[in-house]
Amino acid sequence: MKRRAAILAALAVLAAPLAAALPEDAHIIAITNARIVPVVGAEIPRGTILVEDGRIAAIGADVAVPAGAQVIDANGLRAYPGMIDGYSSLGLVEISAVAATVDNRETGRINPQARALEAIRYDSMHIPISRSNGITAAIVAPAGGFVSGVSCLLKLDGWTHREMAIKPAAAMHIELPGLRPARGGQSGGRRGSASPQPDGPALLAELKGLLEGARAYEKRRDAAAADRRLALPGYDETSESLLPIVKGELPLMISVHGEKDIRAALKFVRDENIKAVFYGVEQGFKVAGELAAAGIPVILGSLYDLPPVWEDGYDSLFRNPGILAKAGVKIAFSSSSASVAKDLPYHAAKAAAFGLGRGEALKAVTINTAEIFGVAGTMGSLEKGKAANIVLADGDILELRTNIVKVFIDGRETDVSNRYTELLDKFKK
Amino acid sequence: MKNPAIPRLAACALIAAVGLLPAFADGGSILIKNGTVLTVTKGVIAKGDVLVVDGIIKQVGGDIAAPPGVRVVDATGRFVIPGLIDSHTHVALAGTNEGSEAITPEADVGAVINADDTSILTALSGGVTMVHTMHGSANPIGGPNVVLKMKWGRPSEELVVGEALPTLKFALGENVKQASRTVQPGQTQRYPATRMGANAIIRREFARARNYMEQWDRFRKAAAVKNPPGSLVPPRKDLRLEVLAEVLRGERVARVHSYQATETVEFMELAKEFGFKIQCFEHIWEGYKIADELAAAGIGISVFADSWAYKMEAAEGIAYMAGYCAKRGVLVSINSDSGERIRRLFNDAAKTMKYGGLTEDEALRLVTINPAVQLGVDRIVGSLEVGKQGDIAVFSEHPLSAYTRCDLTVIEGEVYFDRDEIVKVREAAAAKAAAPRAEGGAR
Amino acid sequence: MKPIPRVSRSVVLPVLSLILTLVLAAGLTAGAARLAGDVGPTYAIRNCRIVPVVGPPVEKGAIVVRDGLIESLGPVDRIKIPGDAEIVEAEGLVAYPGLISAFSNLFLEQPAQPGGGQAPEPEFPVPAQAEAAEDRFPPGPGLFVLDQIKPKKAAVESFHKAGFATVLVAPARGIFEGRSVVLNLNGEALGPMVVRNGAALHINFTTERGGYPSSLMGTIAHIRQSFIDADYYAARRAQYAKSPAGLKRPAYDARLEALAPYVKDREPVVFQCNNQEDIKRALKIAAEFKLNAVLAGANEAWRVADVLKKNPVPLLVALDFRPPATSQYATQGEELRKSAEAEIYPANAAALTREGIAFALVSGANVDGASVLKAVRTAIKAGLAEDAALRALTLQPARALGLDRTLGSLEPGKIANIVLVKGGIFDEGGRVVRIFVDGIPFEYAEVSK
Repeated sequence: MKRRAAILAALAVLAAPLAAALPEDAHIIAITNARIVPVVGAEIPRGTILVEDGRIAAIGADVAVPAGAQVIDANGLRAYPGMIDGYSSLGLVEISAVAATVDNRETGRINPQARALEAIRYDSMHIPISRSNGITAAIVAPAGGFVSGVSCLLKLDGWTHREMAIKPAAAMHIELPGLRPARGGQSGGRRGSASPQPDGPALLAELKGLLEGARAYEKRRDAAAADRRLALPGYDETSESLLPIVKGELPLMISVHGEKDIRAALKFVRDENIKAVFYGVEQGFKVAGELAAAGIPVILGSLYDLPPVWEDGYDSLFRNPGILAKAGVKIAFSSSSASVAKDLPYHAAKAAAFGLGRGEALKAVTINTAEIFGVAGTMGSLEKGKAANIVLADGDILELRTNIVKVFIDGRETDVSNRYTELLDKFKK
Repeated sequence: MKNPAIPRLAACALIAAVGLLPAFADGGSILIKNGTVLTVTKGVIAKGDVLVVDGIIKQVGGDIAAPPGVRVVDATGRFVIPGLIDSHTHVALAGTNEGSEAITPEADVGAVINADDTSILTALSGGVTMVHTMHGSANPIGGPNVVLKMKWGRPSEELVVGEALPTLKFALGENVKQASRTVQPGQTQRYPATRMGANAIIRREFARARNYMEQWDRFRKAAAVKNPPGSLVPPRKDLRLEVLAEVLRGERVARVHSYQATETVEFMELAKEFGFKIQCFEHIWEGYKIADELAAAGIGISVFADSWAYKMEAAEGIAYMAGYCAKRGVLVSINSDSGERIRRLFNDAAKTMKYGGLTEDEALRLVTINPAVQLGVDRIVGSLEVGKQGDIAVFSEHPLSAYTRCDLTVIEGEVYFDRDEIVKVREAAAAKAAAPRAEGGAR
Repeated sequence: MKPIPRVSRSVVLPVLSLILTLVLAAGLTAGAARLAGDVGPTYAIRNCRIVPVVGPPVEKGAIVVRDGLIESLGPVDRIKIPGDAEIVEAEGLVAYPGLISAFSNLFLEQPAQPGGGQAPEPEFPVPAQAEAAEDRFPPGPGLFVLDQIKPKKAAVESFHKAGFATVLVAPARGIFEGRSVVLNLNGEALGPMVVRNGAALHINFTTERGGYPSSLMGTIAHIRQSFIDADYYAARRAQYAKSPAGLKRPAYDARLEALAPYVKDREPVVFQCNNQEDIKRALKIAAEFKLNAVLAGANEAWRVADVLKKNPVPLLVALDFRPPATSQYATQGEELRKSAEAEIYPANAAALTREGIAFALVSGANVDGASVLKAVRTAIKAGLAEDAALRALTLQPARALGLDRTLGSLEPGKIANIVLVKGGIFDEGGRVVRIFVDGIPFEYAEVSK
């Protein structure tokens, strides 16, 4: 016994500096007295979440708090899973008018080799702002051209961009033409320009050709690798970058907007037998049944845009998510921004004002997004075993007036100060 | 042989089917019953009614009986607020900038009102009943602006709010410098290209205006004598300087687009030097740095909630700004400056509760009574009070909730946006499209 | 000397013929050099139906044309066919006054500039920093479009075949576009075509690309300031002329000189109105400077019928049914825009008739005669009465141009602009067989369908 104690003591002594050096998620945190909204499963009006090693060790109304745990009394607060942004430019865009700070649009049409992760500015001022509003992870995507490149899924906390990467490669992005440009508001270029360009079906045919080319290239490459007598084909960057799509290792995220193009994209995905997610989908409500039948999940674009087609109605972008969800389509929201990425929850709430159920709305910024990107095993809800991405809020997390009190990512309490608070504090005096 | 009414009705049916109903006069009378009435200036009535007769609010309270022939709207479970006022937009105009020269106060947006602009419908769908629609920010001195009611379907002259304070748009900073433009070969860059030049050019124009006023003054005095000399020549009437003279005489106030603290403070000094009034600074993302100075000078601000970081001068903007300045005693309004954000003004106002700690009441003021005061129309709009004009919006949830939606927009007692109607028409059109076609249809 | 026409036989021949000889000799002597060899042939068009526009139609009539003028017309049995007349058999045809388009872009070299509503406003146009007032604005008001046009045979034919004998050619560039000319389409040379040169000043609500003004509100301010300056300039010149002693000589300004007649002498100013708001803007400017305004374009005039009733001005309504770009009919989806173009805008003329507002119909930017007629037919289908359409293309434009003493109807003494049509002039199958312009005939072979 004594020896054990001595060993433990020695270990403790040795561990002490280690403990300081170790990430804080090694120790135990107990969040008590919270109104827990796990998203998956029923709400727990008053409960405890136990965090250990960065994961949710236990969650429930009657969870015992172990000794030595850091106790955070969340009386009066609600606990939510951290929200996940389905599409953003966080870390790639600082000030949109200053080209030197914009890194999300490569030049040229075909850039499958562009990887968003490799350009992430992890100390972007927009990331802490988003995080302090309860968003703990985000898809950061390249944009522009036809094949824009590969997005990544980041947790919004980390000293380096690689540390932040949950999925260094989340999806390959392609963009089909937008509908008529929206009038009024400052809608982005992703809605499409007025200049004549190839239409959706033509672009999909082009992509088909590119994928076929990639398959053929792979065959030649592998054959040459196996048999040294065969000539080695030249390194084909495009084909190499597209292979993961062909092999089903990486989903294709198709930015698609109009009814006709959505149908063409559905057919394409079916014919090519590839995993796909659709983004934008402003006229999805017209083909909701087909999207549901095909099992294609939808990441919605920003609701902060005027309807691109007047005849669809003044509220078409707002009604769209509810109609899709009712038809059985798995939807997720996005901020489609960097500077207002913090508004992710309000897009969901806006859709709830126009027909989407509130529960569905919450799922569409948490578990749905996690499922779509294949990380539902570790995030998207407050369940035992999942990463401790927990947000403590003084109200409904989708509400405008709600204050976010604490944000945990992988069990580590993050800094909720940000550029806004820094400047405010500086000039308050 | 077609009646002119028939094509109009056909068009209206189409518009209604896909958009919103144009206004047909209700006679300006309406009774909205059983809603939670947020008067803004006189508290909240949990189960309240608002009666408008001939365009004016006649009664606000509980259990108001409907006068004969007056349309009654049941607002049970809904929220009744004053129509929102957007203090800085560019809607309903055929053009917003005379960018070919830097000083153009002769260009008046009031001459180019476009009452056919569908942005009016967009505004109505967001509960906005009145806007201050303005010059853009291309020029150090832009020109006069105009305040409009969003009366879709009415002739343009009926939209103009005559009671509003005449305003003149000024702009400082990057837009005026044309910072984002590359000068093409063979073209000269427009002066001013720096903030130094922007200040100088405004000072120059006011000095010219002062001279102009002096010239006219001398002429009038000389002409007023018993036998004025035959060689007396009046000065040439210059529309440009006339407008600046109005500013110097206090008949027109300045609304100044600015971002940085320095340019703002400098403009305040200029105003003091020439003795004219700055009513508001627009956008002014660094306003929180000089909140006390603004409050002391009695100058209001008209700002975004959180649209920032789109250019360098907006890089120091903070979402706390509106709330913080309000708490420091500055008269703050939140604007949209956008045909898209105009339908989310109430969402933007709500953000100041979280970023700034404003109460519900204080937040709602930012898009109702505060802009009314800034525009000089608080006597007639901006709150639900007996005697004010019947500009009302009805929301499905509390207007500051993220889950809310504007369901009805009324201007002077007439309904200009009715979501229930739109949904009905939409469903009827969908049913018709699904049903087999009738024979001999017109189309 | 050509034989003297004898208009009457019932008077005592010797005395009167002597007096007539003396009178005519005097007249002929006065313009002897001009008249000699210039007297055109005499024609007698007979057995056609006559629609004179003024007065009821004549079922079977005859028209005598002498030296470019209508000498007489009436029922065929009541009209004496002169001995020197060339007979034009017109059985089965209908004779109308040659149509008048009081606003066209015929013969212009460059295409007409689109109106303010159509042209997008450039964001930050870089200005030409001109200092001198003279250089600042082009001398638009002083421009005569007559100096810029070249007659084209194909264009003349195209308009003849649509029944047009007279057009006003309007300048089409800039804000102050210049002065128009009224032409009778009587041949290939420009000189003899001129009916009246330079009467009206044309103003368009557009912008100066790449310079000031680059916005519609700038244009309106510019128009107002120009008239203020023209007035001021005229006053200074008058003051100086009256008593120059002690006064500095006012600097010469070609542009303001050119504008003076329109503010001082109320010469007509034609405003191109590209949408309903332009109509109101034009009327406001006209009221401010007491201009003699004419409004052209105005294809959505019905939307401001009340205003037009209160401010009656000549209207030159374009047969252009496209909703203006800023109109709510153009910005709420393709379906509405198409239906507006097909049904709502064509009813403009019919609505004006119902409101009791007088107007002329014009060909505007359309230089293809057949499609102009097609547009008239569309307006008729949309409710415009045929005889109202005819008046809008004859008497009304003549009145609007101040030329109704010599054009616009078939009456003795008026210019012999007569169009002979097989079928009705606005019928789909109607065909112009012959058209007289200034008494000169142009024959058009029947084109098989």
